[in-house]
Amino acid sequence: MSNQIKFSGVKKVFGSGPDAVHAFGPVDMVVEDGEFVSLLGPSGCGKSTLMLMTAGLLDLTEGSVSIGGTPVKGPQTDIGIMFQDNTLVPWRTVRGNIELQLEMRGISVASKRAEIDAILASVHLEDFADRHPYELSGGMQQRAAFCQAMIHAPNTMLLDEPLGKLDAMTRERIRSDLQSLWMEQRPTVLFVTHSIEEAIQLSSKVAVITPRPGRIERVIDIDLPYPRDYEVKRSPEFSAYVHETQEIFRGYGVI
Amino acid sequence: MASFDKKPTFAGLKLRLMNSWMFVAFFIGFFLFWEYSVLWFDIPLYILTPPSLIIENGAADLPRLLDYTLVTGTEVIIGYVLAVVLALPLGLAIAFSTILKRTIYPFIVCIEMVPKIAFAPLFISWLGFGLLPKVIIVFLVCFFPIVLNAILAFNSLSEELTLFSRSTGAGIWRTFFKVRLPAALPQCFVGFKYAAINATVGAAIAEFIGSDEGLGFYIQIVTGNMRPDLAFAGIFFLTLLGLCLFGLVTLAERLLIPWHISVRRN
Ligand SMILES: Nc1ncnc2c1ncn2[C@@H]1O[C@H](COP(=O)(O)OP(=O)(O)OP(=O)(O)O)[C@@H](O)[C@H]1O
Ligand SMILES: [Mg+2]
Repeated sequence: MSNQIKFSGVKKVFGSGPDAVHAFGPVDMVVEDGEFVSLLGPSGCGKSTLMLMTAGLLDLTEGSVSIGGTPVKGPQTDIGIMFQDNTLVPWRTVRGNIELQLEMRGISVASKRAEIDAILASVHLEDFADRHPYELSGGMQQRAAFCQAMIHAPNTMLLDEPLGKLDAMTRERIRSDLQSLWMEQRPTVLFVTHSIEEAIQLSSKVAVITPRPGRIERVIDIDLPYPRDYEVKRSPEFSAYVHETQEIFRGYGVI
Repeated sequence: MASFDKKPTFAGLKLRLMNSWMFVAFFIGFFLFWEYSVLWFDIPLYILTPPSLIIENGAADLPRLLDYTLVTGTEVIIGYVLAVVLALPLGLAIAFSTILKRTIYPFIVCIEMVPKIAFAPLFISWLGFGLLPKVIIVFLVCFFPIVLNAILAFNSLSEELTLFSRSTGAGIWRTFFKVRLPAALPQCFVGFKYAAINATVGAAIAEFIGSDEGLGFYIQIVTGNMRPDLAFAGIFFLTLLGLCLFGLVTLAERLLIPWHISVRRN
């Protein structure tokens, strides 16, 4: 089954009349099956809005989105979505929060014990499985939220600034873990970030979005070999991509 | 849930004692001042009695006080439990029904403006001196804060959790029991606690207006007989009753939402 995501003339206007906010679009883009595409743009350009429309959680004003050829109408339950604000509930432990995703979907928790342990270990949270969210740092909460969002092993992942609250060092490590995960399982990933370097390091394509109302200014194919480690990041090709992207934002006066 | 336990340490205990000694000293000082000012200023005993006499005479009248505590306690408990049992489902229904939100909700908000206590004479003239009118007054006093807080509670699920729930495809019941209900409990308890504080006030005033038993009745009668000592003893038991109810609600809160910040803070 294909997980291609197709955006055709997607546009979002919040409200109506004189108070209307033209948040996003119109935008056309295709994310091919198994691609890792970053949405890179300044704050308020509509990245989260696009995520929610893709997940079927927000109505489009114009245009259409389809996943695997099927138009998105209503919530898409076979994808994984990690929201910008974490969705951990305070009354459950980290493990309980991961189980919540399964319980809500009617998946037996007992059959997924091994998977829960594995995903916790993959983000180095195994020692905090039985802690409550308030006992965790912001970055740890974000990693727990990642586990919660991905425990049902979706083939399509929407990640809204999943690494935003991590310190530079952890961020580096989780980035490379995310990259390994993607190389292994080849899900289709839509990844929101503010960081130019992060987008270029991880993505097969970077969609550069203009300030609000967000439009896709350019889709840059990142033609660098995986895995992209420190070596690659120090290469002149990598710097060239960074420069190209920075020039676009400089043109818009964002940086 | 071991992680909620607070480990009492010696240093922590010392700190708490240090912080509370001033309060204790003030408390003791207050009662000493009361005790001796009655003597020094030569206040007649039918105006104000010293605490020692309140304890002494109160103890002598203990059987009657306990009987009346039971009477008032029954009114308070029945009224309060009825209010919880009826207000919670109604709040829930209003929170999830647009029709009810446009009809019953504004009506409840209007009634909330009326001091419920003002109905007490009417209920007593309609229903007599017995238990029922008191239960109704306690019920009325407790009902509104619980409904209004329940509506607020069930309507304020965070945007993220609403989106999360929808993204899982869970049905309304599953979403309710796994997300909405636990998320709403802290705000519900705000209503429960507020109602618990006001329940004894309602019962006492209802008894002032018309009754032949209960602590409110007792306070009124002994005051009429120029016995402020016994009135204070009655007030003491009324306070105790209120504290017990509030304590029970707080205990329930600790058991049901130990994860909530208001519980973790103290
Ligand atoms: N529910 C809403 N009602 C009205 N306007 C909204 C709503 N949600 C978003 N907007 C507007 O849409 C625009 C895009 O918001 P969005 O959250 O998608 O930005 P973003 O690119 O994700 O920003 P950030 O990087 O800061 O998260 C913003 O200008 C915001 O004011
Ligand atoms: Mg956003």
